[in-house]
Amino acid sequence: MVSDLREGIALTETTTTTSASDPRARIHLAVDRPDGHSDDHDTVVEFRGVSCYYGAFRAVRDVTLSVPRHEVTAIIGPSGSGKSTLLRAINRMNDLVPTARTEGAVVFDGLDIYAPGVDAVEVRRRVGMVFQKPNPFPKSIYENVAFGPRVNGFRGDLDELVERSLRRAALWDEVKDKLRSSALALSGGQQQRVCIARAIATEPEVVLMDEPCSALDPRATLQIEELMRELSERYTIVIVTHNMQQAARASDMTAFITMDEARAGYLVEVAPTLKMFTNPEDRLTEDYISGRFG
Amino acid sequence: MDDERRAREPHAVTAPPGATDSVTGIEGVTGPGAGAHLRDHLEREMRGVRDDVLRMGSMVVEAVHEAVEALVDGDRERATAVIVNDVRINDLQAAILVQVVSTIATQAPVARDLRYLLALDRVTYELERMGDHAASVAKQAQRLADDVPPGATRLRNIGLAAAELVSDVLRALIDVDEEAARAVAARDDDVDHRYKSAFDHTMTWLRAEPNRLADGISLLFAAHDLERIGDRATNIAEDVVFLTSGRIEDLNP
Repeated sequence: MVSDLREGIALTETTTTTSASDPRARIHLAVDRPDGHSDDHDTVVEFRGVSCYYGAFRAVRDVTLSVPRHEVTAIIGPSGSGKSTLLRAINRMNDLVPTARTEGAVVFDGLDIYAPGVDAVEVRRRVGMVFQKPNPFPKSIYENVAFGPRVNGFRGDLDELVERSLRRAALWDEVKDKLRSSALALSGGQQQRVCIARAIATEPEVVLMDEPCSALDPRATLQIEELMRELSERYTIVIVTHNMQQAARASDMTAFITMDEARAGYLVEVAPTLKMFTNPEDRLTEDYISGRFG
Repeated sequence: MDDERRAREPHAVTAPPGATDSVTGIEGVTGPGAGAHLRDHLEREMRGVRDDVLRMGSMVVEAVHEAVEALVDGDRERATAVIVNDVRINDLQAAILVQVVSTIATQAPVARDLRYLLALDRVTYELERMGDHAASVAKQAQRLADDVPPGATRLRNIGLAAAELVSDVLRALIDVDEEAARAVAARDDDVDHRYKSAFDHTMTWLRAEPNRLADGISLLFAAHDLERIGDRATNIAEDVVFLTSGRIEDLNP
């Protein structure tokens, strides 16, 4: 399954089990699951002792975290705690910063994506990304969505793929009669959904979203949150958000990171979202989500 | 509590001065940092809800005291006052519910803040029902006023023991003290014991005085109402456990 990432190198598969049970049904207020691991769900991305540096500055310190497949995982924490850096470690976006360096392992489907020989471009095809501000290309709606598949040499029915992606992004009905119009003419919420359609057009396994609603109005925000829920049936979603109510509403798992005295972000707690927002284990988490600091 | 208020409301349960930094009993481990002022409004609203719950609790404790004294003394007027005042207890519950709803809607509390507000709302439900029990006892007091049966004194003892549980569990609520709440729940056995004893005593009395069957039944009803107040104090203890730990436990299995 991952051989295309790293040809000729033996793979270490992580143990995987599957369950048909609804993740939300497993979560109980009173159940203690401090480690937040979903025992009956398999892990798609696993951070193993990950530290991220920008030059000499350590932005993220020793994070170990499992991201369960087909769930929405939210990363919350104060500004500057390394949330986005951690998110970008999943698709090697940090590589684009010249001084950036990552230690530890980010294991994607059993393979360390930072191991020598791994193709960062292929990693990014399998891990899509949506950014804070909608950033459609200055092209038509159709060309935006078709862009990734074209670059990847897609040979199937492109019209069908564009329609399918736009449908999954809950945008098709709104744009089907103006696919050749500029994506920049759409509203902010629609532009963000174009970006989501563009991200899923290459059939990634994971979609990263970095503050995807911060530039949107409340209605568009709720549409994106609803969309995240729907997308999580096919994709694994990891979202960074400052909006704690958004994490509470839209995610299955929540990870809280904050920074130490040296301003390095570290993981305080990860747990099912319901537990996190009703009865967190760590007092730091309680303080943060209750507005005692940050 | 100042002396004037103590004289006016002898059964008042109030929060100690200075213990109001955080109404939920949790101090930020990070101290009053940059975000502390963000919580001012929420803390103020939660404190308002808590104080009204305590006021309601004081009214209930007072009602229980008045009902059992009216019963023992055969005092119709006193009993009527308990029944009339129950409306105020009910009104206060409704007012607290409005406060809780508006705080949740506008402040979006989470974690212990949320549990605290939900627990307080549940507490008002128990207190409202306790008020109903006190009013029921008062109604029996009216019925029995012309010829108070000798068992009435035993009922007073049940009532006083139950009222003390209510005061103590409200104290545990203010202090956000799980252990104190558990201790109160454990003491409900004493109320149950007194109830059983009063029940047996009334049955014995009825065998000797078969023509006073209706009065005996009134006594048994009143005794049962008082016993239920102890059970409801235990329910409040469970709410305290919930708000401190998030656990839902049956303390009276």
